[in-house]
Amino acid sequence: MVRDYNNRHALEQKLRSAPTPPAADHLMVGHWRTIATVLARTGQEEAVRQAIASVPELSLRFSGPGEWLVVSEVEAPSGLMRHLEELCGGRAYVVDQSDGRAVFRLAGPNARSILAKGIGLDLHPAVFALGGSANVLCGHIPVNLARTDENAFELIVARSYAESLFDDLMRMGRAFDLTAAFSD
Amino acid sequence: MASLITCPHCGVRPKEEFAIRGDASRGRPEPMDSDEAWHDYVYVRANPRGRTFEHWHHIAGCRRFLVVERDTATHEVYSVVDAVEFLQRAER
Repeated sequence: MVRDYNNRHALEQKLRSAPTPPAADHLMVGHWRTIATVLARTGQEEAVRQAIASVPELSLRFSGPGEWLVVSEVEAPSGLMRHLEELCGGRAYVVDQSDGRAVFRLAGPNARSILAKGIGLDLHPAVFALGGSANVLCGHIPVNLARTDENAFELIVARSYAESLFDDLMRMGRAFDLTAAFSD
Repeated sequence: MASLITCPHCGVRPKEEFAIRGDASRGRPEPMDSDEAWHDYVYVRANPRGRTFEHWHHIAGCRRFLVVERDTATHEVYSVVDAVEFLQRAER
């Protein structure tokens, strides 16, 4: 039996209203972003990290010792899986997470003040450096937080928590007139 | 703040990110050990005052089991190591 599945974003219900012009602080929801978990075999951690870090289009997010989330903005899920299998060549386990996670990008001059309301991590530019990433709690929701630009952060969250995290972030950003929209 | 734990993988984190799993110094009994030994291991807890080793699971961070050496009366933390490293040290 052939079934058709509609691929729907986790926030399609929440973000249905007409887009408002972005304010200084803006929350962008990555519409389709490709994500995979990479877990290196014992003893292969450094080799795997270097192999993936050598590709500029792939972004490595620390998730645990020998474990990363790999984010790509250009590749489709099947393409990323093939690419990672080639790069790691049996030295790591790779699992596609593209439909299992949602990606938020929070950018603006007050991004740190907004995040500080829910995240117990030192976000000072000198401590949380550009390209840094960490698994943290945002309120009660585990997220992977990464600093992608001077004042921009990316949060990767499990799909089932996406709506709750979105509500939390909008409440955390209300004092700064945070706006939100899909990125494309 | 007293409730900060320095995870060897993630750095300084608040205790809310961890699940405390209890005494790390007790070994698991052998499968065919007596019922009494297993009963003690599963149900009987000491409530020590002072310096102890505990398993802390960094559930919202790196998801590794850590062994935290701390004082239960003052919450002074003496050391935090990965549970694998703790086992290797014990075997040496």
